[in-house]
Amino acid sequence: MGETKPVRVAVDIGGTFTDLELHDGRTGRAYAYKTPSTPGDPSEGLINGLRGAAEKFGFTLSDIGLILHGSTIATNAVLERKLPKGALVTTQGFRDVLEIGRHIRKNVYSLKAEPRSLLIPRRHRYEVAERVRSDGSVEVALDEAGLRAIAGRLRGDGVEAVAVMFLHGYRNPVNESRAAELLAELLPGVSIATSYESSPEIREYERVSTTVLNALLKPVISGYLERVSGRLEAAGVDCPLYLVQSNGGVASPKEAAQMPAKLLLSGPAGGAMAMAGLARAHGMGNLVGFDMGGTSSDVSVVIDGSVGETAESNIDGLPVRLPMIEIRTIGAGGGSIARLEGGALRVGPESAGAVPGPVCYSRGGKIPAVTDANAVLGRIDPDAFLGGGMQLDVNGANAVLSDTIAAPLGLSLEAAAEGILDVATMHMAAAIRLSLFEKGADPSDFALAPFGGAAGLHACAVADELAMDRIIFPANASTLSARGILFADLRHDLSVSELVVLNEDAVGRLGEIVAQLRAEAREMLTRDGMPASRQRIEISCDLRYRGQAFEIATPWVELGGDAVPTPHAISALIRRFHEVHETRFAHSAAEDAIELVTVRAVATGLLDKPSSEVGGTAMPERPQWSRQVFIDGGWREVPVYDRAGLLADGGGAVIEGPALVAEDYTVLLIAPGWRLKARSGGDLVCERGER
Amino acid sequence: MTKGAIDPIKLEVIRNALIAGAEEMNLSIWRTARSTVVRETLDYSTALFDGQGRAVAQSTRIPIHLNSMSVCLDEIAARHIPLDDWREGDIILTNDPYCGGQHLPDFVTFQPVFVDGKRVAIAASIVHHVDIGGGAPGSYFAGAREVYQEGLRLPPMKLAEGGRINDAVIRIIRQNSREPEKIGGDVQAQIACLAVGKAAIERLAKRYSGDVIADAMEAILDQSEVAMRAAIADVPDGDYVFEDFVDDDGQEAVGLKVHATVRISGDSCVVDLSGSADQAPGPVNCTLNMAKSAVYCALLCVAEGKAMANSGAYRAIEVICRPGSIANCSAPAPVANRMATGHRIVTTVLGALADALPGKIPAAYYGVSYVAALSAPDPVVEGERRVYFEIEVGGWGGHPTGDGASGFSAGFHNLANSPIEMCETLFPVTFTHYAYVPDSGGAGQFRGGLGLSREWRLESDWGVLSGSFERFRHAPYGLAGGEAGSKGRFLHFRGDDCVALPSKISGVALRKGDRVRLETSGGGGWGSPSRRDRAAIDEDVVAGYVSEKAAGDLYGG
Repeated sequence: MGETKPVRVAVDIGGTFTDLELHDGRTGRAYAYKTPSTPGDPSEGLINGLRGAAEKFGFTLSDIGLILHGSTIATNAVLERKLPKGALVTTQGFRDVLEIGRHIRKNVYSLKAEPRSLLIPRRHRYEVAERVRSDGSVEVALDEAGLRAIAGRLRGDGVEAVAVMFLHGYRNPVNESRAAELLAELLPGVSIATSYESSPEIREYERVSTTVLNALLKPVISGYLERVSGRLEAAGVDCPLYLVQSNGGVASPKEAAQMPAKLLLSGPAGGAMAMAGLARAHGMGNLVGFDMGGTSSDVSVVIDGSVGETAESNIDGLPVRLPMIEIRTIGAGGGSIARLEGGALRVGPESAGAVPGPVCYSRGGKIPAVTDANAVLGRIDPDAFLGGGMQLDVNGANAVLSDTIAAPLGLSLEAAAEGILDVATMHMAAAIRLSLFEKGADPSDFALAPFGGAAGLHACAVADELAMDRIIFPANASTLSARGILFADLRHDLSVSELVVLNEDAVGRLGEIVAQLRAEAREMLTRDGMPASRQRIEISCDLRYRGQAFEIATPWVELGGDAVPTPHAISALIRRFHEVHETRFAHSAAEDAIELVTVRAVATGLLDKPSSEVGGTAMPERPQWSRQVFIDGGWREVPVYDRAGLLADGGGAVIEGPALVAEDYTVLLIAPGWRLKARSGGDLVCERGER
Repeated sequence: MTKGAIDPIKLEVIRNALIAGAEEMNLSIWRTARSTVVRETLDYSTALFDGQGRAVAQSTRIPIHLNSMSVCLDEIAARHIPLDDWREGDIILTNDPYCGGQHLPDFVTFQPVFVDGKRVAIAASIVHHVDIGGGAPGSYFAGAREVYQEGLRLPPMKLAEGGRINDAVIRIIRQNSREPEKIGGDVQAQIACLAVGKAAIERLAKRYSGDVIADAMEAILDQSEVAMRAAIADVPDGDYVFEDFVDDDGQEAVGLKVHATVRISGDSCVVDLSGSADQAPGPVNCTLNMAKSAVYCALLCVAEGKAMANSGAYRAIEVICRPGSIANCSAPAPVANRMATGHRIVTTVLGALADALPGKIPAAYYGVSYVAALSAPDPVVEGERRVYFEIEVGGWGGHPTGDGASGFSAGFHNLANSPIEMCETLFPVTFTHYAYVPDSGGAGQFRGGLGLSREWRLESDWGVLSGSFERFRHAPYGLAGGEAGSKGRFLHFRGDDCVALPSKISGVALRKGDRVRLETSGGGGWGSPSRRDRAAIDEDVVAGYVSEKAAGDLYGG
């Protein structure tokens, strides 16, 4: 998998910008580049970015040896319901499982039920006679005649995608795979997804939900990939392309087109991956990634050097049962709006979005947002917002904030603006505290790593609230997600769901399962072109005490390399489960029986790692200047530093807060009591001094 | 600073910190508890009170619990342990329905929090414990005639004094439970969460003085009162009367009336439940605390989330009920299955307001926690037995602006179902279907939501079935000309025979191959069926939510 051409490109396509991070093997340096996104066909922005970067940094498109591609295409297709017409074929008696869900509600006090997402209406959900039991035995073989009749109706309905989910299909896929085979034969051109391939895990609702998403996304992602490869070819780019998955690894286009549900929550994955790299670079085990954008903030957690993962998440209320990086999203961003409710000041979760946006954007926004509060307090330079790309209307923000918040509350304009920021800080700090608290961790043991457009202005306040002593402002924060992608590896997640009482007697069955997983994993990596030396397979088990209905992923480190399950390795796994349970839940039960629910394999194909030295963003040199900023109760003349300038002087600069540090697309506020030091790698480290 | 004059910014920061504190307490219980009742069905709640014992901020959990803790605290402070005797490091505990509790499995704990020597807040939690003794496992003894048969009663007491836990109390609790390890662990979790609440208040106290925090809490209560009064003021003045029925007490009482007079004057409301039936011999009785919790839940729904659920909102509401009635039972009436009546109080109060609030009140929801339990041999571990609990829900009532939701948690409780594949793996059952019941939603301009049907077949040689249901005799009502929703059914199939079981059963013996089907009730319909949109009727028929025949009969197709 060695790249024969010198340039590796990571692309992160967001709603507003397409970010590129490039590594040139000839110079060993990395560069960042930004270009506007092209929502109509995102691949156009990708090509624009490649061309622009090539010109700026001096390489040709034929020099590109590898493209790693992150995007929100799958996510947006679901959120905007730009999906093909789909159907579900399921076990006789269970077509309503998809609609019933788990039937718990979020709004506790309401007279009308909250709306629930449903991707396939009942008239397109079909039942067929077949039945597999929980032990995998086939009680009823697939009724092929019945399925043929269903296929006829699907054809008549003009269905473009079919999900197949049979009960216990994860345990024995024989009926599902036969049904898929028949449907493929009878419905040429229709995309088909089975549950045993989409999410081979016990729990029918979560599995069918994932399968349906997979089926509906297949045509969307295939179509996109065709357009991308066409454009790349036309532009003279001839290199492998990989897509970023929600699990933080990348997959080949073929794999991504087969399992597009794995892309669904990949948007924030790049940033989280960058957090792991950042923690490594600073020799720290614990880090909270805080990505604050316009409408929301994403929190990711690195504990003991590893990014937190989860076995399940959801999109728009629809469960996605797949291993992925754990992200907690908070409804607090630069666009969160402030309003009075019964004399109380509320901030968010509603957002002004990009349009009309905050008042100061002059796009028709009439409700003050967090960004307006920052503008009112002088913390954003109205002439240099988004690298000077947008002139901010501070007077407009002053007027609206005055009329709608300050005057009714009898506060000064500044006090009202500070108040909005205080409330927003409290929301963000509370969410971060909860994220750590549920893992049994204490915020004061963590450093905060802010990135994304709005985080730099709020980081010190959030860290103060959480009693964190250290903030790391990563280099190239506005393209950080792309930077994380640059260091990705190929990754496949495989699993076998089977209830096994975990004791030494299970050694035979576990040996079979592990051997099966490893064989499949090797086959997949080999298909990706990975030589054996670059293949790494890690085994873990989802375990629980008998009687519990939730599991804990427990790594089985004894099964490194080709090691097979032995009674000794099983005892070690049991011991580790007790320990993990103790850490997370403050108790363990050494005498209780343990049930194994799922065995998992993470198959990694190691890609070369470029060196992490950052070459800067080709930012124009700016002189140091100062601005009037309202901080700690009064207007003060606060120095403004150019971030590029801080690095230019060899990385030895030390700045005492209050200060502002300007970057191309964002600004950092160093609050009083904090001290900033530049590091040669480009990251800025901020520590709390004596207050 | 004088009362009510608090800076609105500080107020909002403190309000959010208090809500976050209650959520952290919640997470702490989930993280450290042992039993499945707590960990999976999430049957617990947490709250922060002010120093005077008024609920201010609560976690997002179960309405039944949340709105009962303040009444409990009032009762303890007034009659048992005055607040001035609550000292630093004390923990107050009770589970006694006749001292402010609900039923014996629910333990309520409180811990005062002091800042500069002044009591600024009280951390509180309520947890449903897995077993506290009595005549049946789980402490749900359907045959109980007195509370003494329902388990161990703990009068309000100091579980801890000055930070020292009274181990004798813990030992007594464990000794009286069928699950000593689990209840011991869950009590520890309940104690630990109070420290988390205390820490949240102490964190706030680093930034704000105790007086500012107290003023903020007062203001939060005032805001909530204002919002609740605004919602009540939207209701025209008058007396609104409604009644609904509990099927039976599972013993001898049938058709137990729940009667409400809701008296609105200006922005205040009095709910008088005195016209309700006399207390029943069987355990479907509510203490006044439970009845108040149900009334608060109904009115918080009427306020549609605008009033924060706390003691400020309760100020606008007075609940009265004749002692000795099913909604204010007198000792020693049994109370374990109080939910049967609790749900009915919610639907009765909402029904009373229907005419007063046109366009707002839906027809009745299914109105019961459908709980069934099967005891059978363990398919995984030979020689052991397992108890399978099934908790189901039904349809929401049609709303003046739209159809009711089908098969979705409503009203007084909030419960998740159990995955079928997990049930089949852990218990000797095979499911034959899990589906909506066609035609179960009450007909109307806006149709009631559908009930659910869940049927399994027993695979083991024997099984013993129990169940606690409602709405088998008295269907969820329709409104404004809408039809009632369907009644629930519990069917036992053996070969070609089918027996309809009563709504409250225990000890029904099953054999291999027997099938058991629970059909939950649909919601009532809203508005005359003749006004239903033709396209909506056709869509329902295409989807199969309504059969062609019913569409013709009910909607004149």
